[in-house]
Parts: sequence; C-alpha cells; structure tokens
Amino acid sequence: MRFSFRIGAGPLLIRGILKPSVQTENPSAPTDENPSTGLSDPERWVETHGDYLFKFALLRLRDAARAEDAVQETFLAALKGGRTFAGRSQEKSWLVGILKNKICDHFRKASRETSFTDLGFYAEEEGDRFVTEGAHEGHWISEIGPCEWQKTGESLDNERFWQTYRDCSAKLPEKVAAVFTLRELDGVTGKEICALLGISESNLWVMLHRARMALRRCLEANWFAKEK
Amino acid sequence: MEFLKKTTEALKTGLRTLMPSCRQVARIQSDALERPLGVSQRLGMWLHLLVCKWCRRYGRQIRFLSHAAQEHSDDLTGCVPQNLPAEARQRIKQRLRSQGK
Repeated sequence: MRFSFRIGAGPLLIRGILKPSVQTENPSAPTDENPSTGLSDPERWVETHGDYLFKFALLRLRDAARAEDAVQETFLAALKGGRTFAGRSQEKSWLVGILKNKICDHFRKASRETSFTDLGFYAEEEGDRFVTEGAHEGHWISEIGPCEWQKTGESLDNERFWQTYRDCSAKLPEKVAAVFTLRELDGVTGKEICALLGISESNLWVMLHRARMALRRCLEANWFAKEK
Repeated sequence: MEFLKKTTEALKTGLRTLMPSCRQVARIQSDALERPLGVSQRLGMWLHLLVCKWCRRYGRQIRFLSHAAQEHSDDLTGCVPQNLPAEARQRIKQRLRSQGK
C-alpha cells in the first residue's frame, strides 16, 4: 500500500520540485556549504525553512498540531533521503516537495476515515442572489449581481489582498477548502485529486464550483467593494 | 395529443440547454476550467454570455481568482501570520539529532 502510493505521488513530488517557488527564495538564505555531499546541518534546515514550511502546511491543513507533525515528518524524511536529492535541486523547493507529499498523505488518510464529499455546503448556491420564480428564474438579481472589479492587477501585489484571500478561503468548510487548495494553489489535476480523496469527478466539480462561488462573493464583499 | 406533449417537452429541454440560466452558466463556467465542454453546453454558454454582462463578469472573476492562486501561491503562504512555535522547533531538532546518529 505504502509502496504503491509512492509511485502514485511521483508526479506531485516532481511538480513540487519544479514549482517556481525557487524564484522567490530568499536570496540571502545560506546555500549548501558542501555541494559534493549535498548535505548541510539538518538543524540549520529547521532554522532556515521551518517557518515557511509551517506556514505552507498550516494554510493547507488548517490545524497547528497537524502542520507541526507534517513539518517534522518532512525533515525526518529529508534526513533519510538527503544524500540522494539535496545536490540536485535547491533545498527549499526540495523540502516543499516532500511536505506536499506529507500533506497528501494526510488527506488520503482523512478520506479513508470519513467521506470527502461535502455537498451540503452552500446547497443554495447563492440562491439569494438569483431570481427564484417567473420568466427570469435562475438569473442574477441585478442589484446584487457580480459588481465590476477594479484594479485587479494591482491587488495581486498588495499583501492585504492576499490576507483577505486567505481569510475568505479559511471560511470554506474543511473538505471543500482541501479540494480547492489542492486544485487551485497547488495545481494538482482533477484526476489526481479524485484518486487521492476517493471522490467522483462530478463531486469534485460541484465542490470546486461552490468554493469558487463562495470565495468570489467573499472577496467582492471584503475587498473589491471596499476598494471603491 | 401525446405527440404534441412530447414535442413541447423536447423543445423545452432543448431550449434549456441552448438558453441556460445565470445559475447554470455559473456552473458551466466553473466546469470549463476543469474539463472540455460539450458542443451544446458551449453554444448555450456562448449565447448567454453575448447578452448577459453579469455572467461575463462572473466568469472573468472566477478565472482571475483561479489564476491568481496558481501564480501567487507563495504570497498566500507568506501571509499566514503564525510561525513554527519555538517548542515544536526544539522538538524537531531533537528528533533530527537522535535520528542523525
């Protein structure tokens, strides 16, 4: 079981390594002192990368204890695999790649314990924003339909925008948030998510649709409508 | 009479596919990010978007949110306020030390 997972998670690990997070790496961070063995002091890893990995895990697992565990497992796995990998890719993105697999492990375990389909959430699908009867049934009520978003490009460079984004995604129900972060933040394909969580594609699509709807509405209310 | 009923039903179904409501178009636009759409779905969505500015906005916005998250996942991670607690930091270091021996 364990072994078959490692094969299945291969593409995730590769994506983790190739992700452009390398570009944003702190340029002043120390590099491997000894590239021939590729291993530097593992305790320095904790100092250099501990906070980032913890934030990364917390954003996805939404629980401090779980995030700590994932970070610890990541460093332990890195210690074991260090000699094989550290020389080949940069330290941080390599560690993030391992952490991504640990997070997937967690979701896989969680999906075995309880069903991962959470369709009860937002059953109304913004029912209050659509006309409920008559010839225009199912159409946006024009006064409260989507408003025009100004300065979307500038928002991307604003730290407060990302705080709002994070606050809004934190309001999503746990399972929906897990599906959403895997898909949108980490770019995991739909098929991989379905296999990971044991859900059907149509369930995945409904959950993503509802997550997008809720997130759009929250960001409109808390960011774009306020910007004006 | 029966024939007429069936024809009306078929027409209604056809019209619903070709003239989806905003609620349906919201779903279709989300699905479009996930999978290739069928021909009738695409045509229905396209016709609807021609005349509905709300749904054009909605589609632009969810595509923006999706694109933003994928391109800036590092920004999102960076704005998590919590750091690795000192106690956990010590514990992990100890584990690493004992494993490293």
